[in-house]
Amino acid sequence: PFVHASKKTPIRWRLQTYAGPALAEHVIKPQIDAFNKIASGDMVIELYNADQLVPTPELFRAMQRGTIDAVQSDDDSIAAPVDVAVFAAYFPFATRYSLDVPTLFNHYGLNEIWQEAYSEVKGVTWLGAGAWDPCNFATKQPIRSLADLKGKRVFTFPTGGKFMQRFGVVPVTLPWEDVEVALQTGELDGIAWSGITEDYTVGWADVTKYYLTNNINGAWVGSYFANSDKWEQVPEHLKTLFKVTMDSSNYYRQHWYWWGEAHYRTKGGKLELTTIPEEEWAQVEAEAIKYWDEIAATSPRCAKVVQILKDYTETMKKAGKPYRYA
Amino acid sequence: MSYEMIALLMCTTLMVLLLTGQRVFGAVGFVGAAASLLLWGDGGSEMPFNASMVLLNWFPLLTLPLFIFMGYMLSESGIANDLYKMFHVWMGPLNGGLAIGTVVLMVAISAMNGLSVAGMAIGTSIALPEMLKRGYDKKMITGVIQAGSSLGIMVPPSIVLVLYGMIARQPVSQLWLAGVFPGLLLAVLFIGYIVVRCKLNPALGPSLSFEERSSISRREKIALLRAGIVPIAIVFMVTGLFMLGVTSLVESSAVGAAAAMIAAMAKGRLSRPVLDASLHKTLSVSCMFMWIILAALCYGAVFDGLGAVHAIEILFLEKWGLSPWGVLIMMQVSYIIMGMFLDDTAMLVIVAPLYIPLIIALGFNPIWYGVLYTVTCQIAYMTPPFGYNLFLMKAMAPKEVTLVDIYGSIVPFVTLMVIGLGLIITFPQIALYLPELYFPK
Amino acid sequence: MFKALVTYTKYVDALNRLVGKVAMYLMFVMMFILLYASFSRSMLNSPVVWAVEMAQFTMAAYYLLGGGYSVILRGHVRMDVLYSTWSPKTRAIIDALTSFFLLFYLGMLLYGGISSTAYSLEYGQKNYSAWAPPLSPIKIIMVVGIVLMILQCVSRLIKDISKFMGVDMLKTYGDVMP
Ligand code: NA
Ligand code: NA
Repeated sequence: PFVHASKKTPIRWRLQTYAGPALAEHVIKPQIDAFNKIASGDMVIELYNADQLVPTPELFRAMQRGTIDAVQSDDDSIAAPVDVAVFAAYFPFATRYSLDVPTLFNHYGLNEIWQEAYSEVKGVTWLGAGAWDPCNFATKQPIRSLADLKGKRVFTFPTGGKFMQRFGVVPVTLPWEDVEVALQTGELDGIAWSGITEDYTVGWADVTKYYLTNNINGAWVGSYFANSDKWEQVPEHLKTLFKVTMDSSNYYRQHWYWWGEAHYRTKGGKLELTTIPEEEWAQVEAEAIKYWDEIAATSPRCAKVVQILKDYTETMKKAGKPYRYA
Repeated sequence: MSYEMIALLMCTTLMVLLLTGQRVFGAVGFVGAAASLLLWGDGGSEMPFNASMVLLNWFPLLTLPLFIFMGYMLSESGIANDLYKMFHVWMGPLNGGLAIGTVVLMVAISAMNGLSVAGMAIGTSIALPEMLKRGYDKKMITGVIQAGSSLGIMVPPSIVLVLYGMIARQPVSQLWLAGVFPGLLLAVLFIGYIVVRCKLNPALGPSLSFEERSSISRREKIALLRAGIVPIAIVFMVTGLFMLGVTSLVESSAVGAAAAMIAAMAKGRLSRPVLDASLHKTLSVSCMFMWIILAALCYGAVFDGLGAVHAIEILFLEKWGLSPWGVLIMMQVSYIIMGMFLDDTAMLVIVAPLYIPLIIALGFNPIWYGVLYTVTCQIAYMTPPFGYNLFLMKAMAPKEVTLVDIYGSIVPFVTLMVIGLGLIITFPQIALYLPELYFPK
Repeated sequence: MFKALVTYTKYVDALNRLVGKVAMYLMFVMMFILLYASFSRSMLNSPVVWAVEMAQFTMAAYYLLGGGYSVILRGHVRMDVLYSTWSPKTRAIIDALTSFFLLFYLGMLLYGGISSTAYSLEYGQKNYSAWAPPLSPIKIIMVVGIVLMILQCVSRLIKDISKFMGVDMLKTYGDVMP
């Protein structure tokens, strides 16, 4: 903004991401810069960070009304009014590796299910999903057993939070940008919002001390959405360009998080690693399968997704190493 | 219309509307709402209400009504009367001693509440009449009370630092610690000024007469020191428990409100009319702040959407070619000028988000910057035409204090604050010593 | 017509006084929720999931429902550099004229509020949290608060115009309006 584009009036989009500035620098900004560069004045996307123009909980609504043209977020955070939103972000133990996400969407039929779900909501078009990082706990006190989780106030996603309540975790939801401060002022004991890469990138590693290596999900599922009318007004070649840059962003996140998880665990220097023994953690995994069945009972479409997740897990187990080691 | 034009239009329209005397929130809200329509058409029509959802999610704001109520409870509870009596008796024998005692009283009140209203109420109702009765220079003492009560936003707990922390995303615990020494420094500057003035001209602050002094026995003097116990207990329960991590920030404000109420009850002063008056004032002041923040959030979001952060950076660094220190001083000067005309809450919500990213990018410490900002707020409270302490002083001062006295009284104290600001800029350790001691990097 | 307007101000003022006096006590509700949360966490070692959210909802109700009453209490600051130099009549007419801007803002606030509330009802929107309470109740309360604010500002507008036209304020409205 404040810089004049070329004389022909470009298509202007306001895209708001769920991510704060430090994270947006990696997960979206390069994509938008590339898009604007290639679109060379035919279309300009202005990027806004978490809560910058619209508070995240109102984001879906804002996109539907056209206050915002496009959104990068998970369906859960923006409270998308579709039944499958529950599977977005971190559905407990749904994925193990970040490659699981594109595999599930492209080869196991989730793309079609998501398209169908969003076709029932007026005004918003779902453009596609990609993988982010795993979900681990970073805390001020060490977590070495399930008992240590009891009573901890943890910043996390609603779905994951609801699930972890079964183990005594007290889920807290705050505007993303307030988390670092809340950890310092005593409103929070920890976070279960990301893997270690983001903990270091956004500064949470400076205000927590321990990192639990057991994760409750291997890869966050996030999506791109657009206001339907605005999307329809975009010419075909720019639609394709946008989708291609979506994939370039999806690709960058694949290797950045994969690199970061190993790098910061071994060379980060700020967080001490702790682990809950496999046998004990298996209780959480077993509980998650019960949770899956509860969610499957909420709608036929959810049942379909849960079945796909089960089939997928089964296939991975059968395939053996390197897909599964036990 | 270009983005620069819209930004310029927003600022000038706001200025004109404010000059008409329309309520600040109405003026700010209108410009924000109209600009979002102009900029984004129908899509912008929900920006004003979106701001209310932002406000809903801003948990630190919960401290605002609770700290305000706490302040009113304290001024009604009579704690201040006992404290004043203590300082009166102990400091009275000195030339200007009652004024010095008032500054110390203001520091104590500041340690128990987060704004300047309680200090103003206590200063004008208790200290001012006593000093006028004893022939103190009215211009000097009106200044003392205005400047002294403004320490309420610097000495922890501080609502201004909570708001700053919310906008700058900085931990309130560190900001509060950072405010301790600057608050004391300013108090020392005020006292130094009083001492020097009264030394040169003892008629400005006559010492207590021998008769009055000898009417109080040594035993009574010692007994008066007990007035300090309750305030110390309250400071511990609010700021102490929060710093120790026992209470969270918002809980500490609830503890403070409850503690002040209990103190008033224990003194037998929690009558129905007192409670009713405190609740009314709390609602009135909280609504004023909340509605201004609501309006300013919309204005600020539109401003942000125009890319104003980037524009400020280009203006300061590229067009004017300022050095980092030049930028910092420029910002403080702009705050002081804006603070004359604008409500400081609106100033914070609209302007601070533009400045803070640049401050951090230039390598300055945002905690220290919060303290600098707070000093400029203190100045803004006192400088005409728009200043909360000025308004309060006009409303609460006894008849013999004229408007000319009030305006004249602020000159030396604003000068002292600017000197204090200069000292804190030159020696950042004044602010940063405590936070770095308790939160080592 | 004039009589109807006077009646309007009487009813609206009375309504806002009533709602405001109730809203005023919400401060205690916030206080108790937070004290309970603090006690439950530090003494009973069982943190309360809903405490801060509930306190935030209460605060939204507090300042929005109390908005109209705060106008009656003249709680909203103005920049009075020129304002304080004008005669009461001049103030009244300028206030009446500029209240167009105020009402425009409040109107947009209401428009957004209604649309957002309708959405929350249509889609059963829940707060973004594990507690996940429905958002429509608090949004409805917020909209009511905005409506009360608009009603009060219109009441004030009627009084400002009356004052400018030389109506005996004390006799007609029981209000001197400094
Ligand atoms: Na204070
Ligand atoms: Na001022």
